[in-house]
Amino acid sequence: MNPRAEASDRLMKRTWILTTFLISIAAGAVAAAEQEPLDDRYCVTCHGTDGRGNEGVQAPRLAGMEPWYLRRQLENYRAGIRGAHPDDIEGLAMQPMAAKLTDESIQDIIEWIGNWNYVPAEDTISGDLEAGRALYQSCATCHGADAEGNEALGAPALAGQNDWYMVTQLRNFLAGYRGVHPQDVYGAQMRVMTTSLSGENDINDVIAYINSL
Amino acid sequence: MTRPVSRREFLNLLAAAGGAGAAVKAGSALGLLPDSASASTLDLTAGNGRSAIILGGGLSGLTVAYELGKVGWDCTILEASHRCGGRIFTVRHGTLIDEIGNRQYCEFDDEPHLYFNAGAARIPSTHRTVLGYCKELDVELEVFVNENKTCWVQDNAMLGGRPVRNVEYTTHMRGFMAELMAKAMTETEMDAPFTDGEAETLLGMIRRFGDLNEDDVYRGSFNAGYASDGFIEHGVQKDIIAFRDLLKTRLGMGLMGANEGETGPILMQPRGGMDRIIDGFLRQVGDRVNYRAMVASIQVRDDGVEVAYDQDGSRRQVRADYCFNCIPSHLVTGFEHNFPADYVRSLKYIRRGEAYKAAFQAKERFWEKQDIYGGITWMNNPSRQIWYPVAGIHKRKGVILAGYDFSGGMYHTRMTQEQRIEAHLTDGEKVHPGYRNLVEKPVTVAWHRMNHMLGCAGYWTRILDGAWSAEDEAMFRLLQAPLNGRHYMIGDQISKHAAWMESTLQSAQWAMNDLDRRLRDMPA
Ligand SMILES: Cc1cc2nc3c(=O)[nH]c(=O)nc-3n(C[C@H](O)[C@H](O)[C@H](O)COP(=O)(O)OP(=O)(O)OC[C@H]3O[C@@H](n4cnc5c(N)ncnc54)[C@H](O)[C@@H]3O)c2cc1C
Repeated sequence: MNPRAEASDRLMKRTWILTTFLISIAAGAVAAAEQEPLDDRYCVTCHGTDGRGNEGVQAPRLAGMEPWYLRRQLENYRAGIRGAHPDDIEGLAMQPMAAKLTDESIQDIIEWIGNWNYVPAEDTISGDLEAGRALYQSCATCHGADAEGNEALGAPALAGQNDWYMVTQLRNFLAGYRGVHPQDVYGAQMRVMTTSLSGENDINDVIAYINSL
Repeated sequence: MTRPVSRREFLNLLAAAGGAGAAVKAGSALGLLPDSASASTLDLTAGNGRSAIILGGGLSGLTVAYELGKVGWDCTILEASHRCGGRIFTVRHGTLIDEIGNRQYCEFDDEPHLYFNAGAARIPSTHRTVLGYCKELDVELEVFVNENKTCWVQDNAMLGGRPVRNVEYTTHMRGFMAELMAKAMTETEMDAPFTDGEAETLLGMIRRFGDLNEDDVYRGSFNAGYASDGFIEHGVQKDIIAFRDLLKTRLGMGLMGANEGETGPILMQPRGGMDRIIDGFLRQVGDRVNYRAMVASIQVRDDGVEVAYDQDGSRRQVRADYCFNCIPSHLVTGFEHNFPADYVRSLKYIRRGEAYKAAFQAKERFWEKQDIYGGITWMNNPSRQIWYPVAGIHKRKGVILAGYDFSGGMYHTRMTQEQRIEAHLTDGEKVHPGYRNLVEKPVTVAWHRMNHMLGCAGYWTRILDGAWSAEDEAMFRLLQAPLNGRHYMIGDQISKHAAWMESTLQSAQWAMNDLDRRLRDMPA
């Protein structure tokens, strides 16, 4: 479904919820005048127009993210498996926003975002492509030679993601801010893989290489 | 143990302060005073049907619509939220608090004095532009009590956590400080920096400052309050609190400071809530506002600005000759745009603040039973402050501010609603025993998580209240200037004094004046 059709669907859904909601609070104390919004489709406030990412609040591109990956991350955030480490600044901002999502809301968000057009993010980082290519070889095993991702291995696409976001995440994995929660199985795998990177230069080079794919 | 400060060292400190004071030129205080409160420093030329698209219905956006509308411009405001006012946000019965992941509806009783200013709350009497618009737009003002020495000071580290009245704390502390100063003044070996007459006046002031006795010793003071009586019978003086005990709390630094923030001038508030100011503007330009219209794209052209926005599930386009944008810079960076790289860099450079506020409805005005009418209690715990309302004195209920974290508010911001409430109940209980049962109907507002806001104010310098670097200054000028002559960023984010409505309004006026000057200079 394209975003426009999806939106009118959303409108109908809103109207439906509004009606039920009005009935349910009829006996309540609160005036119904401001009873909105009624869904949890807040994503674009932070993640930017069409979910293409916003560096201003360090919120990555969602457009083009695989539905299965979106679900895993939303569920991890909700459960505090991701975004709980005191030094994971961006994760800490996201985590409480997801904490109260219901299964229905997560489903609704995925259906909404899962249909946004994939538009590769703007490159903001450059580095040594040759060195990056060499470093990327171990990443390619899971994320694919073209960084296209691999659902079977639980590895999301990297191509087109905001490079500044990937830098932050690599730093977080390396520093143990992400991928250390006992239930973060994929995060733990990723954390092991990042140990082959030694420092900022490597991070830059490998991200610059992903940019070039 | 820390080394005690000798009198000599203390005196040197005093002398250093005197030097700074002397540097203030007497003449500068006598400069010509500008007119009293008036909104307009504007004298705009007729719009002649020119159009402006205003992004965001914040205070600055509304001001532009109002002022340009007066001189015949065609203005449209796009506002993403269901309400205008942005960070001017009064919460009352039924108000939606649209915090991401923590949506709340306020359940205060439906009475005019039961409201909470979750954003802007205080107007200093020196903020002439704000006051000018209040006057012009018929916004009724009342005095706001900020410093009230009857309020409490509480720190677990001081006196076993027992709260003391602000007046006790500050009177005793002044006494002890005055003693030190007076002794230093009378030291014979001192090289007298003053004439005899000056020294005598100064000593007199020091004695009065600290209520010293004839031996220049502080033995307590009625100014710290009476233990009992004081009207029909002679008052009984309260026991002194030892200097050492008072020094146990770091709150003293704030309490002894000249004025907290901009609170030297008297402060005011609109009767009924800060959003009365927004209502005032909306009475004039309400029909220009397009609500639930979320800006998605800004394309600055040579002959105007094209804006796309999302509304009712579809993307719509508008075009205007000029654009004024008060949307927080950190959200603007997430739009589609055709801004040059240095402009984007500056937008990204501004840091967003993390202020957090919470309030309770009190079932009874328990503070009035403790002689407290308005003002602020200071606590050395994460809730930091309790504000008592001036609105509704002697009525049954009142709304109190239960916590205000004005810097580094992420502590509460990350919590669930239940955790926040529990934190404020626990903190407040230290000052008001039984607090937990005296309050109800909590609301919390974490600006960092508020929809369409995600911050409380924009900060340029990397050091809080620090000096601006040349780089800060250059980026500021770049953003203040109209992009391509067409797109103006406005709001307190384009000011040197963020988080005040005065800066917000002056920024809007700066932009309109700048455009007006350019229009007048343009060949016809
Ligand atoms: C906790 C706190 C305490 C304060 N205390 C005081 C005080 O005591 N005294 C004082 O003078 N000032 C105070 N201030 C500052 C004052 O509130 C601000 O300076 C002023 O309200 C800022 O107005 P603005 O025009 O910059 O716009 P904002 O209020 O920032 O409004 C921006 C608007 O843009 C809208 N918007 C966002 N995204 C989009 C989009 N995509 N499309 C369309 N619209 C969008 C928002 O919904 C909002 O309405 C305080 C602020 C806070 C947060």
